[in-house]
Amino acid sequence: MTGTDRAWPWKILLAVILIFSAAAIWGSVKRIDYQWRWYRVPQYFLYEAEEPIKIPFDGVVEGIAVSGGDALVTLVSEDGEKQQVSVDNETVRVSQGEDLFEGDTIGYVYQWHAGPLLTGLWTTMWISAAASVLGLIIGLVAGLMKISKNYTVRSLAAIYVEIIRGTPLLVQIFIAYFFIGTVFNLDRNVAGVGALALFAGAYVAEIVRAGIQSIPKGQMEAARSLGMSLPQAMMDVILPQAFKRILPPLSGQFISLIKDSSLVSVIAITDLTKSGREIITSTFATFEIWLVVAAMYLIVTSILSQFVFYLERRLRVSD
Amino acid sequence: MIRAENVTKIFTGRGITVRAVDGVSTTVDKGQVVVIIGPSGSGKSTFIRCVNGLEMFNEGHVYIDGVDIADRKTNINKIRAEVGMVFQQFNLFPHKTVLENLTLAQQRVRRRKKKVAQEKARALLNKVGIAEKESEYPSRLSGGQQQRVAIARALAMDPKVMLFDEPTSALDPEMVGEVLDVMKTLAREGMTMMVVTHEMGFAREVADRVLFMDEGKVIEEGTPEHFFKSPQEERTKLFLKQVL
Ligand SMILES: Nc1ncnc2c1ncn2[C@@H]1O[C@H](COP(=O)(O)OP(=O)(O)O)[C@@H](O)[C@H]1O
Ligand SMILES: [Mg+2]
Repeated sequence: MTGTDRAWPWKILLAVILIFSAAAIWGSVKRIDYQWRWYRVPQYFLYEAEEPIKIPFDGVVEGIAVSGGDALVTLVSEDGEKQQVSVDNETVRVSQGEDLFEGDTIGYVYQWHAGPLLTGLWTTMWISAAASVLGLIIGLVAGLMKISKNYTVRSLAAIYVEIIRGTPLLVQIFIAYFFIGTVFNLDRNVAGVGALALFAGAYVAEIVRAGIQSIPKGQMEAARSLGMSLPQAMMDVILPQAFKRILPPLSGQFISLIKDSSLVSVIAITDLTKSGREIITSTFATFEIWLVVAAMYLIVTSILSQFVFYLERRLRVSD
Repeated sequence: MIRAENVTKIFTGRGITVRAVDGVSTTVDKGQVVVIIGPSGSGKSTFIRCVNGLEMFNEGHVYIDGVDIADRKTNINKIRAEVGMVFQQFNLFPHKTVLENLTLAQQRVRRRKKKVAQEKARALLNKVGIAEKESEYPSRLSGGQQQRVAIARALAMDPKVMLFDEPTSALDPEMVGEVLDVMKTLAREGMTMMVVTHEMGFAREVADRVLFMDEGKVIEEGTPEHFFKSPQEERTKLFLKQVL
């Protein structure tokens, strides 16, 4: 805690540097004469859509009742069948007694929908979450295999880890989708999640192995000397201690996974990145959308690291 | 109770082979206390770890209550539950409280109900004189307290035999006494014990028999009386001269 009292000059320096950087970026962007259209961005989060309400038969308008902003229109078909529909009062296109044909528009309703940025974010989150859970399981198994006494078991895990760590994730995703996915007729989501899980699993395996091996040998010996079986000793003594140590690298791995999941957009999964690209093709708001997409990734990863930070502090009680 | 026959343990690694334990035979009868002494690296730890199968030996046999521990049909976990072990480095579970350290194996191995295990644990903590620390984590305890918890943890399994591997060597001198006192009480109550130690006072006071090991072999064996008054072997004499 030395120098806390003299921290303020450095804080000021930091602020100055940040302001200068922002100004420099702003200045350069001004020079290329880019048209900022921030007002276009919100609609890609949430938008209100107008949907026409149509009459499903040939018939007549029996009555229109207004309640609040809505109009309740009663329709009667030629067979005497009655139906009531609700539309926005301002948009009523028909009047009482009017004859209508099937498919004629009576009026419109307005509804809020999640825009592509939100649905993309949702896809990114569930793909990352599913791949994390699977990757954790794969990594745990592979990590335990790596420290097995059996040569074959150990080697299998080592080969898996080497292959995954020695090839680019992008290529793995292509192989998972275009090769394995074609052979086994896999859905693109399955291929995407599977590739990410296998990728994360290899790194988790190394983290788990290192974590377990960092626990002093005496812990396993003490547990075994009390008559506990190897699985019991692992579950109750070694893994809980190892977990505490591997939590920081493990969470780093999962935060990376959220970012790496953007690569599944190459197999046409509409995640946050792909949504961003799609929006840009229709709006040309390139700068705004990429900045917003980056900010959204940043928010998700920061929330996650804050949560891990909190968890670490909770686990520190026994130190 | 414990019978070791010609136990031999060979370590191989990086091109060198070490006969850490070289044909050791001995017996410990029920209620006996056998103390093993010897210079560092003489194979004392390796031998005592062979007794509960923590170290698998290359030759020989170990029988606990007549059961061959290296037999394929023997359930080693069942044997180990009957053989308590106390380590030089305590090896308490740091992520569990003192009470949980004592109840974990009772529940998992002896399948005792939590309540029963806790009662047993509290009684033993009382016995080793640290009842008030039951909800502390081990890192908050002094070395002497930790080692007493470790002894209580082993006793909680109701072992027939207790093995001690230099239980006081990692302790500050002022804490050695409190641990030795617990061990002496155990010995007086009739616990069968095998103790590796450099505490000659302890050996003299409670041992029924003393083994002197060097280079993996038992060089001399006898009562404390014989040992400290009239040792026969040159190496024993030399060792005792250094430590006494
Ligand atoms: N895991 C091991 N691998 C290789 N050599 C070992 C191992 N454990 C002990 N040894 C060797 O075996 C010999 C006996 O060691 P040890 O039983 O620890 O002696 P002591 O407990 O009497 O000091 C020493 O030479 C030591 O280096
Ligand atoms: Mg030793």
